[in-house]
Amino acid sequence: MTDGWNIVVCVKQVPDADEVSIDPETGILNRADAEAVMNSPDYNAVEAALEVRDVVGGTVTAVTMGPASADEVLQVAVGMGADNAVLLTDRAFGGSDTWPTSLALARAAEELDADVVFGGEETTDSSTGQVPPGIAAHNDWAQLTYVEGLEPRPEEDRLVAKRDVEGGYERVAADLPVVVAMEFGENEPRTAGLHRKIYAETDFEPVEWSAADIGVEDEVGLAVSPTQVGGMATAEPVPREQEMVEGVEELADHIVEVL
Amino acid sequence: MAAGADADTAADVEAHSDVWVFVEQHAGDVAGVTWELLGKGRELADQKDEDLVALVMGEAVRETDIPEEAIARGADRVLVADDPAFEPYRADPYGEQFRHLVEVRKPDIALIGGTHTGRDFAGRVAVPTHAGLTADTTELEITDEQYEMRRPAFGGDALATIICPNHRPQMSTVRPGVFDAPEPDESQEGAVEDVEVVVGEDETLTEVLEREVGDVADITDAEIVVAGGMGLEGDVDPLWDLADLLGGEVAATREVVEEGWIEPARQVGQTGKTVRPKLYIAVGISGAIQHVEGMDDSETVIAINNDANAPIFENADYGIVADYADVLPELIEILRERLDAQEVTA
Repeated sequence: MTDGWNIVVCVKQVPDADEVSIDPETGILNRADAEAVMNSPDYNAVEAALEVRDVVGGTVTAVTMGPASADEVLQVAVGMGADNAVLLTDRAFGGSDTWPTSLALARAAEELDADVVFGGEETTDSSTGQVPPGIAAHNDWAQLTYVEGLEPRPEEDRLVAKRDVEGGYERVAADLPVVVAMEFGENEPRTAGLHRKIYAETDFEPVEWSAADIGVEDEVGLAVSPTQVGGMATAEPVPREQEMVEGVEELADHIVEVL
Repeated sequence: MAAGADADTAADVEAHSDVWVFVEQHAGDVAGVTWELLGKGRELADQKDEDLVALVMGEAVRETDIPEEAIARGADRVLVADDPAFEPYRADPYGEQFRHLVEVRKPDIALIGGTHTGRDFAGRVAVPTHAGLTADTTELEITDEQYEMRRPAFGGDALATIICPNHRPQMSTVRPGVFDAPEPDESQEGAVEDVEVVVGEDETLTEVLEREVGDVADITDAEIVVAGGMGLEGDVDPLWDLADLLGGEVAATREVVEEGWIEPARQVGQTGKTVRPKLYIAVGISGAIQHVEGMDDSETVIAINNDANAPIFENADYGIVADYADVLPELIEILRERLDAQEVTA
């Protein structure tokens, strides 16, 4: 295989985590004020995809699922250097939990004839980390999560990854195609060059696919999602003394008291 | 429309029973969260009047103490899938074996540790079983109507209840430290059963080339935790001095772990461990909600920070606005004198 790898990177538009808040009086989520941004761990995924392309050759295609406005995160990925982008957009996707979401992305990856699919460790708005393993499971492909570093081996059709495991690391070789979830913060995402950024935000148009285009129109959405949100409550703050002390002696008193 | 779509994928809910716990083991060492899950799983199984089943996968695990210990910690039955393909852990053979067992044995609830391995496994197996999977649950409850899995949402400001009405098993991952591990009781009785292994090495998609794991610190059982944040600017030695003096463990925020100043096993917070010590001393920690979520069940919290407006003070019982570099050496000296004095009088 000399013409390089088909690399897909999955990205997600999320509300800026620093701007989402809960109204302490009403308990209602204040999401509207938050700016829509690319999920921050996804920057590590895009960077890893570009680095592998730089070594192996081939193309990087960014894929997202969301409303039409989600093309903003595809522009971010293209600005960083992705070659192509696909927007999965359809009202049928609404209400999907991680099961149908990973199905749609898995079908898109198949459609793109992917050798490697990248994703971030988890999203900042739902923090499950379940979508990359879900994509791999739907396609019966290999998966590598919590990845710290990559050694592409195109001559063997394999990708070797260093994974973070409790108390250490492991190096795992996976047959292609493989789904990789990069550990958050493990590489230095590049900034978009000015010309590339202008191209991404003006001339560039992503390909749009509906649920029917990837053959999942009956398998996505709220109705087929195994999990549902049954309720949301504001978390009760733990009562604390909140007493400020003046000197270290007094601090030591309180510590000795507990001991 | 919803009913029609559901009919294709939904499980026969009534046909599913029992509570399963995935026993995470690496070369015979069991991840501590496994025992915590057996504790919670026992409660749920008793409430349902069903069995608590521990699933052990690995190579030559039958000859280890693991099946007996699972029984001593509450399991009614232990299923053992023993094969070289299961050591070390890999998602693809584990996933296929689990799919098979779920199809044949139809568990109602499954609990998996929220470690890297557990999350890798859970995400893999939820798909072919069409299970409902909830990440990082902190409360699990069987109400009159249904099984409710609760998890923090929006950085811990809210608690979301997740339900799984039409699919089985109802799976969740749980971070280490959320539930209490029961002490082993050797008088407990249970059955150990070998299950049919449905995967072979030639079907696997991955190969572990190398695995380096040192001693894994367990901060979740510590009675005293001394934790450091970015305010330390990498100067973590005083944390260790104070922790050693008090017989406690050192912990850190995510940022500190990412800087490489303290090992990942000691990370407290939303993406790390949950700790519930008698005393939590937060040094140079601002108190971001993602960190507080992992320590706010501590009995007493002490905060040292040079920023009077740091949110950690709202989450502390006693606080001092001062530079850690001034406070810690003096605090260590005073405590050493007092503890020595106590020993003399004792």
